[in-house]
Amino acid sequence: MDAFRKIDIDQYEEDVLLEEELYDADPRDPATVLTDTKSKVGAVRGSLSKGDIAGALNLVLDSPPYGPNVEEAKNLNLQTLVSILNSTKSTEIPAIVRALSPDAQDTLMKYLYKGMALPGWGDVSGSILLTWHEKLTEVAGTGCIVRVMTDRRTV
Amino acid sequence: MSNTLRPYLAAVRSTLTAALTLEDFASQIVERHNKPEVEVGTSKEVLLNPLMISRNENEKVLIEPSINSIRLSIKIKQADEIERILCHKFTRFMMQRAENFVVLRRKPVKGYDISFLITNNHTNTMLKHKIVDFIIQFMEEVDKEISEMKLSLNARARVVAESYLLAFSS
Amino acid sequence: MSQPEVYSLAQTPITSHAFNGDRSQVAVSLSSKDVQIFERQGHDWQPTETLSEHDKIITSIDWAPNTNRIVTSSQDRNAYVWQQTVDPQTGSTIWKPTLVLLRINRAATYVKWSPNEDKFAVASGARAIAICSFDPEGDWWVSRLLKKPIRSTVLSVDWHPNNVLLAAGSADMKARVFSAYIKDVDKRPAASVWGEKLPFNTICGEYSSPSGGWVHTVGFSPSGDILAFASHDSTINIVYPGGPAIYTIKSNTLPLVTLTWTTEETIVAAGHDCQPYVFSGNESGWQLAGTLDDTNAAKSSGGNRAGYGGASPVGRLNSAAFNTFRNADSRGMGSSPGQSAGSGESELFTVHQNTITSVRPYDGAPGAVSRVSTSGVDGKLVVWDVNSVSPVQTLTAKMGGLHLK
Repeated sequence: MDAFRKIDIDQYEEDVLLEEELYDADPRDPATVLTDTKSKVGAVRGSLSKGDIAGALNLVLDSPPYGPNVEEAKNLNLQTLVSILNSTKSTEIPAIVRALSPDAQDTLMKYLYKGMALPGWGDVSGSILLTWHEKLTEVAGTGCIVRVMTDRRTV
Repeated sequence: MSNTLRPYLAAVRSTLTAALTLEDFASQIVERHNKPEVEVGTSKEVLLNPLMISRNENEKVLIEPSINSIRLSIKIKQADEIERILCHKFTRFMMQRAENFVVLRRKPVKGYDISFLITNNHTNTMLKHKIVDFIIQFMEEVDKEISEMKLSLNARARVVAESYLLAFSS
Repeated sequence: MSQPEVYSLAQTPITSHAFNGDRSQVAVSLSSKDVQIFERQGHDWQPTETLSEHDKIITSIDWAPNTNRIVTSSQDRNAYVWQQTVDPQTGSTIWKPTLVLLRINRAATYVKWSPNEDKFAVASGARAIAICSFDPEGDWWVSRLLKKPIRSTVLSVDWHPNNVLLAAGSADMKARVFSAYIKDVDKRPAASVWGEKLPFNTICGEYSSPSGGWVHTVGFSPSGDILAFASHDSTINIVYPGGPAIYTIKSNTLPLVTLTWTTEETIVAAGHDCQPYVFSGNESGWQLAGTLDDTNAAKSSGGNRAGYGGASPVGRLNSAAFNTFRNADSRGMGSSPGQSAGSGESELFTVHQNTITSVRPYDGAPGAVSRVSTSGVDGKLVVWDVNSVSPVQTLTAKMGGLHLK
């Protein structure tokens, strides 16, 4: 077939909505995001060693990296989060998720789905993520899942 | 039901419930058309983030939601060569008769064994929670069905082998 | 506590419903190309007339209460205004359609009469809203288009009480307030919180949904000073343009797709959760007040709601799919397509059994609405008393069903 038949003519449409217009970009530049995320790793480790899981979670879920060009920071933050999730006893989960703010719950749900999309990546464990998912859905409901779907600021 | 299967299915159920919030939506690209946006994929703003739920690398579900349709794809557990063959035959059989299953897609999404396409017409004519029940039951049963078939296949092979070898034993 | 009045009009979804001025008739679209008019007879609704002119599914209906005109919009890109006239041949009264020159090239999605009933707005998939007014010289309805800066299908519109401002919610995740001032029709509007000078297509406000969902529904408060919109991220947002505050209520349940103000401080909203919720508040904050659907009352043994891991019995699947395969596998029998998945696993304990697509004021003046009507995908039309609010079942009670397996 002639090459011109395969041209995506819709991309020349002026009105077409582009991926990056669907959400407001992260105001921070990628380098700052990475340093921010790195600095959090230490703080999280500190909280974890004191057994303060809720505090550690809040640190990770606060202003997480999103958008393009910050893959490294995203992965690092996911890794930090997974380490928190893995070190939590399943009996403590309900109380912890209940204490989170609605925004933090939404962000945690985003990370749970991101983790599940990468089975076998790092120390991601399917069963632990599923346990968290179940407990979080009990507290935050299906609305929380809907927001993961709609929110283009993917973590 | 095993302990890890339950949260897995619960996660699929809640995600599917959240995704099945469909409405009628006419195409904004082609006039007087109305098609599943998840399949067309031309209007970015009416597609939502696809979500994956996984139990492990070999068992996962991908849910791709959009404003008027969702696509749900399942990767079924296949531990060995026999299960792989059985699973292939099983899904192939069903997909060849996709119109009898209404929500079944004729071809699975790449990387998965079987896909469902649910549109707003389906949620209009069928009760939404029944569709969710159907998918969950399907997932519950498909593993069981395949291991059962594997057992009966092995049993049959044993009988065949036995009667074949019997001819030499006398 | 008064029970809601439930009428099952059809087995098919009701895409839209609109009552006439004295609530003796209702026009509905049963997910088809025709408008069906029902008339109240005693405690029942009887179908009387069918209005056929569209050739694709009808998306929205609005019935002007005072001028007694019906406007319909459809995915065939057209809108018609229907007026009762006497047929010169037979002498009977019939509904006569007038085509509207919409000048849009995609589906019309939503239609609404302005408060004075001299204009109406048609939302469309052509990334535009057509503001239509009557042109006596040509004896037809002409339109002007609101285009900028809409980037996607417009899903709903609502008129400000001053007959000039128009709110629109669209699939590009924004709710906007436009001026729809038409020189020959409107008097110069008084200054309001939304602005002073308002030529056509002025943008008086633009608000994003907090987590990026399509804005399904918009509504001005009775005074017109507050705007509410609900979006697909399961939130409802209340905007005070004067005091720069936006209140967002994140819901634990599925998205709301339709809303109406009952008083200056209460909103009834409904959607995929199959029950109408009541939100109340004022400048200092808003919260979920309860639901109109008391799921504990009439229906027994509540607790477990579908969507929350409702208890489906574990056991053999009786679905056609597996029987077909099993028969073919073990007995070499052909397929016999049969009933869908097993029966009676989970049931909804709400009055509506499927998504509610439309909620409208039914009884009472604007600002003091005492009853609202809802219609939904399950083909039911329900009239609710807005004062019989019952608390929303707490989530823990709902979740009771989850642990059954």
